[in-house]
Amino acid sequence: MSNPVIEAPPTAPAVTWQEGEVLARRAAARNKRKRLALLVAGWVVLLLIWQVAAYYLPFGTLPNPLEVGAEMWEIIASGALVSDFMASVLKTFAGFGVAVLVGAPVGYLMGRHNYWKAFFHDGVTVAGTIPALTYAVLSLIIFGLSNLGPVLAVALVSTPYVAINVAEGIRGVDQQLVKMSQAFGRSQQQIRREVYLPTIVPYMFAAVRMSFAVAWKVEALTEVFGGTNGVGFQIRNEYQLFNITGVIAWMALFIVFMLIIERLVLRKLEAKVLAWRPEERVRT
Amino acid sequence: MAVLTVNDLCKTFGAGTARANRVLDHITFDVRGQTFVSIVGPSGCGKSTLLNIISGVETHTSGEISVTSDAGKPARLGYVFQDPRLLPWRSVRRNMLYVQDADDEVTRRRVDTYLDMVGLGKHGDFFPGQLSGGMQQRVGIARAFAVEPDLLIMDEPFSHLDAITARGLRAQLQDIWAQSKKTVVFVTHDVVEAVELSDRIIVLQPGGRIFEDITIDLPRPRRQSDPAVATLQAEVLARLENMKAMTPQVAAAG
Repeated sequence: MSNPVIEAPPTAPAVTWQEGEVLARRAAARNKRKRLALLVAGWVVLLLIWQVAAYYLPFGTLPNPLEVGAEMWEIIASGALVSDFMASVLKTFAGFGVAVLVGAPVGYLMGRHNYWKAFFHDGVTVAGTIPALTYAVLSLIIFGLSNLGPVLAVALVSTPYVAINVAEGIRGVDQQLVKMSQAFGRSQQQIRREVYLPTIVPYMFAAVRMSFAVAWKVEALTEVFGGTNGVGFQIRNEYQLFNITGVIAWMALFIVFMLIIERLVLRKLEAKVLAWRPEERVRT
Repeated sequence: MAVLTVNDLCKTFGAGTARANRVLDHITFDVRGQTFVSIVGPSGCGKSTLLNIISGVETHTSGEISVTSDAGKPARLGYVFQDPRLLPWRSVRRNMLYVQDADDEVTRRRVDTYLDMVGLGKHGDFFPGQLSGGMQQRVGIARAFAVEPDLLIMDEPFSHLDAITARGLRAQLQDIWAQSKKTVVFVTHDVVEAVELSDRIIVLQPGGRIFEDITIDLPRPRRQSDPAVATLQAEVLARLENMKAMTPQVAAAG
């Protein structure tokens, strides 16, 4: 048996992973172009339907896209956009911050210990099932006309999402990695930081994604009823003036803003933080 | 000087109960520094239990066991597991630094040296997911050597790899070992592998006794193609066949 294998490094596959990654990235770029074209087509169709509907409906019920566009531009130019959107954004983030502060520890306990899971499980499930509108009304009753109402509403809506996802993340922790860390004498704190936390991060993103859409709606809704500033407050203002164009313009800006946050901010951040995952490397 | 001393070690699961199960039965051996010792035996002979007791994960029922370091410091252990067990969210280099106690210039240089030794000097910034299974296991080996352990415990590190990759890694392990001369306890069920790598093979038999303690006196580096290696492998295998025939049917023990 004359065998030269020892001198050679382990055999390389026909396509190295670098080449494979280049191919995958090219395919992803092709798909991206296709998706982009369909996205634009979707918007065009939507605007056309709107235009046709505005034309046939009685005058004054539905302004056409151009009128709304002009109104949107006015709002942007007047500076109201920045101040009111900032107000809404800050309230949403504050509420979400509260949700993380409360929901993350609850989720941690639920994921780590079965006793705590039994303790919290029904409460969290019920809290997640209650309609968001209920939270909005409840917050208004508690805080009346103030900025705290929307914050509380957002916190109440988001907390169950955060708790459930963190619990799921903790259960997903690879115990083999924990044992490895202990074998090498790592401290509890190191294990939490290097094993537990990175495992939870993708689940946290999922929590943000899921709760953000709902949280925004509740935030705006609470402002409609009892806000002193913000997007919802402006929508109510326009409504009271019977300015339908204004209502739709604010609504449209709201949608645009949500899309920007979800598509650009959250997704970019996620891609950056989760760069270690193979699927993230191909997608970006 | 003996790095690992095992004296009259017994381990009984469920001691004192009707279902008491003795898995290690009066084991005595010691491992001198800078030697490569393999522990082989069929599944159920108590290999993993012995390993767990050495690493302190499990307690023993009676007897003594000690791991000593020179200079009286607490003994440092290094591990290579069956699978790589790397943190997927940390680069290869950060994975190696994670198990180090310091993060200074000296440590970084040592980490890079061992990465070079396993042929992954250029892959320090890669994530584990970007490497093949064999490369990941090489990182696992480099990680264990890089902590400069008094005792390096390897638990069937090649059993999950394909034959060709495993063969390449065995050759590489020999090279690193020759350069670093760490004390290694290598657990495997593969006698052929044990003969190629070890200075000494401790054969456990079902029931948890030492069946044989074989010294392998072959020049290094050993290559599988070497007829002397092949002859010895066949001989040890034959002795193990013999053990199987001699051992009474003992209830399988964990």
